[in-house]
Amino acid sequence: MSPAMVEFTLDGKRAAAPEGELLMHAAARHGVFIPTLCHDDKLDPYGGCRMCVVGVEGSPRPLPACATRVAEGMVVSTNSSVPAYRKTLTEMLLAEHLDPNPGGRPNELVDLAEEYDAEAPFILPDAKREPYDDRNHFMGYNPDACILCNRCVRYTQEVMQCSALSLEGRGPNARIVPTHGYSWLDTECELCGGCLSACPTGAIYEKFEERTERPEQTLRKVKSTCTFCGVGCQIDLNVDPETNRIVKVTSDPSYVSNEGNLCVKGRFAFNFVHHPDRLTEPLIRREDGELHPTTWEDALETAARGLARVREEHGPQTIGFLASARLTMEENFLIQKLARTVVGTNSVHSCEAT
Amino acid sequence: MHSARSIGFRPQALNPYDRAVDALRLAELLPELPTDRTRLLENLGRIRREVGPLNPELSDALADHMNIRRGEVHEVVSFYSFLDVPPDSVRVCIGPVCDCLGAKELLAREQEHANGVPVLGVECLGHCEHAPVLLRGDSVEPDPVHRTNEGRSLGLHQRDETLADYQARGGLELLGSLPPKEKIVAELKASGLSGYGGAGFPTGVKWEAVARELTPRYVIVNADEGEPGTIKDRYVMELRPHLLLEATLIAMDFAEATEGFIYLREEYATARARLLAALDEFRAAGLLDGRSLELVVGAGAYICGEETAMLESMEGRRGMPRLKPPFPSEVGYLGRPTLIQNVETLAHIPAILREGGEAWPPVRLWSVSGAVREPGCYEAPLDVTLRQLIDDYAGGAAEEISAIVPGGAASGILPPEALDVPLTRDDLREWGVGAGSAGVQVFPRSYPPLRLLAETMRFFAEESCQKCTPCRIGNRGLHHVFEELEHDRVAMSRDQVEEWLDAMAATSICGLGQGAPFPVRAAFRYWAETFEPLGEKAEVR
Repeated sequence: MSPAMVEFTLDGKRAAAPEGELLMHAAARHGVFIPTLCHDDKLDPYGGCRMCVVGVEGSPRPLPACATRVAEGMVVSTNSSVPAYRKTLTEMLLAEHLDPNPGGRPNELVDLAEEYDAEAPFILPDAKREPYDDRNHFMGYNPDACILCNRCVRYTQEVMQCSALSLEGRGPNARIVPTHGYSWLDTECELCGGCLSACPTGAIYEKFEERTERPEQTLRKVKSTCTFCGVGCQIDLNVDPETNRIVKVTSDPSYVSNEGNLCVKGRFAFNFVHHPDRLTEPLIRREDGELHPTTWEDALETAARGLARVREEHGPQTIGFLASARLTMEENFLIQKLARTVVGTNSVHSCEAT
Repeated sequence: MHSARSIGFRPQALNPYDRAVDALRLAELLPELPTDRTRLLENLGRIRREVGPLNPELSDALADHMNIRRGEVHEVVSFYSFLDVPPDSVRVCIGPVCDCLGAKELLAREQEHANGVPVLGVECLGHCEHAPVLLRGDSVEPDPVHRTNEGRSLGLHQRDETLADYQARGGLELLGSLPPKEKIVAELKASGLSGYGGAGFPTGVKWEAVARELTPRYVIVNADEGEPGTIKDRYVMELRPHLLLEATLIAMDFAEATEGFIYLREEYATARARLLAALDEFRAAGLLDGRSLELVVGAGAYICGEETAMLESMEGRRGMPRLKPPFPSEVGYLGRPTLIQNVETLAHIPAILREGGEAWPPVRLWSVSGAVREPGCYEAPLDVTLRQLIDDYAGGAAEEISAIVPGGAASGILPPEALDVPLTRDDLREWGVGAGSAGVQVFPRSYPPLRLLAETMRFFAEESCQKCTPCRIGNRGLHHVFEELEHDRVAMSRDQVEEWLDAMAATSICGLGQGAPFPVRAAFRYWAETFEPLGEKAEVR
């Protein structure tokens, strides 16, 4: 049963939304955009950045729209003192950074600063943070771009249930760090890259082998299915339109089966696509001991002949099938069908089983 | 080991106090440690004292033992000030009162003669009457004495050594014959008692609200006294621990709670020993049969005095305040309705129930420290004036007074002209300050208000949990602005400072960020000439 609709007032106008919906989403239904830096729909409401505070009648202070749920008769305002707070909070965040966008990556703080015409009145004398250089090949982290929204840490804890990142310390010394300040490779991190997909300021980022100078907005997204396993995660191949090469892989929270989450292979292991060593046609090892290109018909024919010979000379129980983890369930079904009915062996295994 | 393994962020050991781990001792201790997440802080405290200050190996070992993710234990360890420093460290208080009486010189002297023992400057240690003060391990220097008066409600002039002493003064009589709940609420309301921790919420209303919620309920005593200049809860716990325990049991009976906790700040070793001894006596006398009352010891974090931060801390997470509503009376410890009350507030309740709410003279404990001859903790009426406190209770001013903080860091700053104002909430409101925790700090002429303000902002910045933007950056920013102003530099215009104060007061999650603007606004009002370089405040904005 879908929740009942409730009526509330939004900036003096009557509005309706499902009961219990976050105010942020209820307002969006009516075209009122409420900014946030720390909210992520995958995560529990946090209410840390305070960018989304709105006036709610009856509350002595503004409330965070990312954590407050709409109720019948609520009177919400986003246009009295709220815009001034947003600007001031943006100024504060800018004052905490030598350069709010040292990596030049998409950055929601910089976007807000432009929107509210906010500038840092000064830079805090202790704004410079200890630099980070990790030896892993996939993810980098620039603490100077971090706004401590804690999205990455909450992602690791709430979504991945792993222990890769910590919100360390208190007050001016608070930092996001790979646990204990170790290299990610020495934590439980699986390098899934979920933290960088949650980061609003590009502080955690992909270390591309396929570098691109293009701002992300101009990359062409090609929706595809990840081929690494049978789950079928939906991915977006981000293609540089000039070179026509994949420069990174992302996913969207709206995609079924993986809800925008990826693993280390899906997110980072795409370099095989353009790799010079990639096999692009079937090869057969001939009498001379060398591999020779051939057609699919010839390759399959050769393999079938070989299998039939072994079966004839040594019996079907001498043959076993090992199926790739990259096969779908349907393909695995066909493998066991082939093994049992055509070859006549029960020795069938998928490496997904281990 | 970790330093060799990790070539990423920190090639060296994290902590200058890191010592080799006594692996045998650790292996002995670990199996004894309970694995429930609510025991995390307690376990960390035991490891620190019995094995050594927490380093990554110890933190990970405990995480694995308790089946908590390592990263989360690291978050908790790094949140507190003292878990990664050795228990024998010297901690020198650098809070404003100690600062105005020579804490920096004391710190420098101690560091010079450290002999390998870590010497740290730390925020208010809650022994302000002995400023400048330090903790050498657990012992206070100079030797603490209690300076107090004969108060009718709390009777701090007489120290209860044992439960028998307490009973000889009429203790425990109430516990056996508690009036019905409605009557208790009515008496509390009639007495006008409100939270003396600083927020001032009416106690009767809070008790009534908790009683409306479903059981099981919890009772928690907030003994994390951390407001600079405030020593009153320590006096109650050190002089009359049995009184606090009886009051707590009254609250537990009222709330039908079978589990109660006292969250005590780590720095109060004497109070800890006295409460543990008193708890043993209560247990032996059968007063805890069918229920439990436990001591939870913090690890150095001012913010854990904020009630929802305290709940997070008790549940084994970083002490970061929760979003309110819901309030702890509805959703508190482990999600259950919870009655949280400050030590002093609770301790007044036996007197109120004995004398009746109408007859109880509205009093509270005033901690008086700084430039006075006899700093101490005195029971006095709510409408006492600063002059009376200083002259009639605290032996008179020791020096010419330049500024007075009436009730802890966030209450505000008053000029000497306010010496004759009754210190009630209503009277103080006109002066733009709050009564707070009644931690009256008297500052001498030699300590300029601008210095006091900069130190206050530094304190808030250090103690901010970091969760919300306005508190984390606002306090750091204002500290910077006032330090710059001390050097005749203008980092931000007055108008912009006002905008920052507005945003901090309105959008911070908890009282730390919401209250930080009070001292700033009071200083602007009473020492306007000091802030002239920042420019005029625009009349209409």
